[in-house]
Amino acid sequence: MLKVLMQIGVIVAGLGGMTYAHGQQMTEMFIPVGQSPGVSDKSSLIGTIDSMDEKNRTVTVSAQSGAQTVGLTNRTKIWLDRSLLKAPNQLGTSADLQKGRKIEVKLEQGERKQVAEWVKVQLTEPGAGPGAAAK
Amino acid sequence: MRKVVQCDRSPQPVAVAVGVTIVVAMATFSACQTPPRPPSDLIAKGKNLFFNETFKGNGRTCGTCHRAEANLSINPAFIATLPPNDPLFVAEFNPDLKKNFENPKLMRQFALILENLDGFEDLEKQFVMRGVPHVLSLRTSVNSPQGPRTGWSGDGAPGDGSLRAFATGAVIQHFPKTLNRVAGVDFRLPTAEELDALEAFQLSLGRQQDVTLPLPLKGIVPKRGQEIFLDNSLGKCNLCHSNAGATANLGGGNIGNANFNTGVETLPDQPADLTGELVPPDDGFGKPGDGTFNTPPLVEAADTGPFFHNNAIETIEGAVAFYDGESFNNSPAGRTLAAADPEGVGIELDGTQIVAIAAFLRVMNALENIRQSIELLEASAQKRFMERQQAKELLKRAITETGDSIRVLKGGGLHPQAVAHLKKAKELAEDAACSIFSRHRLTEQAIEEQKNARNELVESSPARS
Repeated sequence: MLKVLMQIGVIVAGLGGMTYAHGQQMTEMFIPVGQSPGVSDKSSLIGTIDSMDEKNRTVTVSAQSGAQTVGLTNRTKIWLDRSLLKAPNQLGTSADLQKGRKIEVKLEQGERKQVAEWVKVQLTEPGAGPGAAAK
Repeated sequence: MRKVVQCDRSPQPVAVAVGVTIVVAMATFSACQTPPRPPSDLIAKGKNLFFNETFKGNGRTCGTCHRAEANLSINPAFIATLPPNDPLFVAEFNPDLKKNFENPKLMRQFALILENLDGFEDLEKQFVMRGVPHVLSLRTSVNSPQGPRTGWSGDGAPGDGSLRAFATGAVIQHFPKTLNRVAGVDFRLPTAEELDALEAFQLSLGRQQDVTLPLPLKGIVPKRGQEIFLDNSLGKCNLCHSNAGATANLGGGNIGNANFNTGVETLPDQPADLTGELVPPDDGFGKPGDGTFNTPPLVEAADTGPFFHNNAIETIEGAVAFYDGESFNNSPAGRTLAAADPEGVGIELDGTQIVAIAAFLRVMNALENIRQSIELLEASAQKRFMERQQAKELLKRAITETGDSIRVLKGGGLHPQAVAHLKKAKELAEDAACSIFSRHRLTEQAIEEQKNARNELVESSPARS
């Protein structure tokens, strides 16, 4: 029985059938903070940025439930939500994670440590753009 | 609306049937059963949104590409019937969407739609061209143990990746007034209530459960096709399309809906490529993609071509033949099948066997069309005199469905006697739709003709005759 199951496992893996079924969310960047279906109303962290630790690549978010520190990785997508400015959303960088800005964080699933899958930063100041703080 | 199955009746008990095997096999072609469906008013709201709501965008609705008259998909022949101002062609008449939104040439010739599945940073070069999958029998195909799988590569939805969230991504990709895609300016996003309704509607479409094979088919060629389909050492189709559906059973039980790299992208002479238009490679699931695409159900295949994510193959026979070719057999999926085969063979079929499998799929499709037609006709027959407009609408849908079953069988040179019954059923339904006083009688006669057609395709059980 074990042999059969192992063989099936090999076949399934070879065929690609076990791919985790949610990896591509390119339209997500155009969804404003707090409106991601099935995420914003359930599992994401929404609050304001308390601080950004560039060295340790973490951002601390002040949310209703209290302050929470989240790790950023090279995989973490950072998007700038400019919909309140009626401007197109853009890719951002960690330099855009400025204190006081509204932020939404989707945490990666299955991670022991809290790591962000994506981060949306709401921009309300005209002229603000990708990496503006660094300029 | 085509392929919408309103099942307001209580499930019909089938256990009383004499031929248990036959009745179980036929059950999914004859009765609406589990699971429980959402309230009909939510489905009706979703239907209205699906076909009429533009979300303050460029004029498109979900139904612009998932056409009610074209099996909730779209194909070049249908596109050719549309007026130039149809919202499908918005890239041809809206200056803001003229560049990098669609490729009108590929849309008109091959029904291909542009998608920015790997991001929106380089609109000139970073896109894929995909066909429009039908949205039938989603209840049987969208879920997997690894999570929901939506769209051709199983990862089409933003948010939580669910079918419910899919509409949000579709609005952003396909509905914007400009390529800025600013929410609240170029479109509005669906509300939570609208997403609920859209999901309920989509889940109500088509089959609500999988068929149980084998069916007691009558035709020699379709019957042989079914045998080859189910033969895990010959056709091997049933491994990934269990019971001609969208779930895989590799020998240790059903593992649900899955993604596979079957090598479609490596097919030579793909029609879109032959045009000389830029068609970037489609790397499937994820970014960067892993080359896998989602398994669609096959019961609805024969009348919903062209086939595969890139509409590379026009006919169901060609789609089956693909699995006998080098592209499949050299793909990860083909090589894995070969590795598990005692003789090291992936899939090797001859011309007659390919046609036999296609004939089987044509018959499966026709049976599903007949099932739906009978449901629609029965629902129409229950409408009273004052509800004749609704009755007429149901009859129209049954007529479209019947037209499909005729086309699917005739296209394979199959079951001429069944085709004759279906033609008669169609005529009767057309007459019923125009009749004020004989509607019930004509509809009942049309139902009988549908049953006669079905009896030409499968052995009937005493309980169903």
